[in-house]
Amino acid sequence: MTLLFDTQFLFVRALKKLVRNPILIFFSLFQPIIFLVLFTQLFSKFSQVPGLFPSGITYLEFATPGILMQNAFSSALQSGTSIVEDLNSGFLQKMLVTQVSRPAILIGRLATDAFRVTVQSAIILGLAYLLGFNMATGIAGILLTLFIIAFFGFAWSGISLTLGLRTKSAETVFGIGAFLTFPLLFISTALVPGSAMPTWMQDVSSVNPISFATTAVRDLALPNAFSLSAEVTSLAVIALIALVTMSVTVYLFRKVVS
Amino acid sequence: MPDIISVSDLVEVYADGTKAVDGISFKVNEGEFFGFLGPNGAGKSTTIKILTTLLRKTSGSVSVAGLDLDKEAKEIRKIIGVQSQETSVDPELTGRENIILLGHLQQMKGKELEERVDKLLEVVGLKDAADKRAGRYSGGMKKRLDLASTLVHKPKVLFLDEPTTGLDPQSRATVWDYLEELNKKDGITIFLTTQYLEEADRLCQRLCIIDAGKIVAEGSPVGLKKDIGADAITITVQDKKSAGDKVATKAAAKELLSKIPAVIKTVDTEEGLTIYVKNGGLFVPELVRAFDKTDIELVSINISTPSLDDVFLKHTGKRIRTEELVKEVTTGRFGSRRR
Ligand SMILES: Nc1ncnc2c1ncn2[C@@H]1O[C@H](COP(=O)(O)OP(=O)(O)O)[C@@H](O)[C@H]1O
Ligand SMILES: [Mg+2]
Repeated sequence: MTLLFDTQFLFVRALKKLVRNPILIFFSLFQPIIFLVLFTQLFSKFSQVPGLFPSGITYLEFATPGILMQNAFSSALQSGTSIVEDLNSGFLQKMLVTQVSRPAILIGRLATDAFRVTVQSAIILGLAYLLGFNMATGIAGILLTLFIIAFFGFAWSGISLTLGLRTKSAETVFGIGAFLTFPLLFISTALVPGSAMPTWMQDVSSVNPISFATTAVRDLALPNAFSLSAEVTSLAVIALIALVTMSVTVYLFRKVVS
Repeated sequence: MPDIISVSDLVEVYADGTKAVDGISFKVNEGEFFGFLGPNGAGKSTTIKILTTLLRKTSGSVSVAGLDLDKEAKEIRKIIGVQSQETSVDPELTGRENIILLGHLQQMKGKELEERVDKLLEVVGLKDAADKRAGRYSGGMKKRLDLASTLVHKPKVLFLDEPTTGLDPQSRATVWDYLEELNKKDGITIFLTTQYLEEADRLCQRLCIIDAGKIVAEGSPVGLKKDIGADAITITVQDKKSAGDKVATKAAAKELLSKIPAVIKTVDTEEGLTIYVKNGGLFVPELVRAFDKTDIELVSINISTPSLDDVFLKHTGKRIRTEELVKEVTTGRFGSRRR
């Protein structure tokens, strides 16, 4: 019970901080929106080259799931900065000398990040719709997409929190996040299909988590692409990543908190 | 009176091998205003962090309100309030929200919490600024907010790590008054650490003087000063003929003083030499006469009844005023370069 209440208090606290600092959300949204507006224009003719992209769809339709994942990925990788802030300002210690349920500190943080990524994704999706995007599986597809994104974000938040607890440096967390985003994004099927890549890139891309997550959403978005088994596989891979990152996060968090 | 904090043979060795706390033992009585006085790096914060369950001790045993630190940390957290050395308020929450959050985390709610928060805001003088974000508060306001939020659940024992460091004299006086009231009226036991002699002198009923991880003296401020049993005379000297070697002149003066039977002890200080004698007033003429016969000139003489600084000096051979210690190190270095 305490766990639930404490999680809620900390979730509300983090949300208030976020709302009062909306500039952070604008910063995170800036890049995906640039991608959504400019990249899709830049690539619009390219995607009509026969054999490279799935035929009969626009580049916007192809790339929107990838852009959503890019956003989830890069936002989640910043998650660790907030715990570092609390650690270095002493606010974490201040909470730790109260009776607060220890897991609530972690869960409250993760819940906030998942919420944030979901809201950002909804904004991106809305904008994509305005530009002509359509989700083939309709409203159910949209809900499942938001769920997948929140879950995917959850996994990477864990990595970021781990980094934060380990290095105690917001700059490092931020730097590593920025450093990882582009290589992992470009060597994935987020923006370009595997068939359009050199072989070595195809190999890397096929094990890249961003590819799995993108595929999970793309299969919901594109017409006649949905297959239950493929969907389950993608989700299983994401769940596996989340399991690993969460275990490490919990382990490190307990070390800091004890 | 029963003791509410009991510490024995406490040791803390940090991961890098620093022995920050080196086998200290002490007790704090219920309702007491107790202090740890010591310079920077003495081990005060480390001790507080251990006592407040934030840091795992290397060895020793600690109990707070009869609860064992190793087994009942959670119970201890319910009854203590802690203000750490670094002021920590959430800058994006308002003053009121900061206190409410801490109240929530201490399992308070509803009307009871609301009233408590209103009262605390009023007491620490933040009523008008209550709904402003804490990030816009001045340093003194943040400290007061921090204090208020540690009091929200009416703790039995309050731990304050240098609560007035960095405050202007007026804010400091306000905090002092408030702490005294908390202790006297509400009967809260207070464990305070400080580098300020005046603070320890004014607030603490009993204190431990701590240096390099060890307790070097323990007692009431009055008792500790009395124990010195002497007045302190601080003199500065220089060579009558040349402006020559200051160190040698000082050494010569010390040598001279050691031959005077009335002198109990002479200690080197940054200003010059501090001489302890039974009766300072009567000793001064003798002092002047003794120096008259030599090449050493007495530049200044300053008599004082013993302060806690003298207590510290007696037990450690150093003065506690950290800023001046830093100055001494710098001038010392310049001196040797000139030679
Ligand atoms: N996390 C740490 N790791 C290693 N040494 C530390 C750590 N924290 C403090 N110290 C060292 O322990 C000693 C005591 O520090 P501290 O308890 O903060 O002293 P005080 O609060 O009296 O100024 C100092 O020498 C300090 O440098
Ligand atoms: Mg300290």
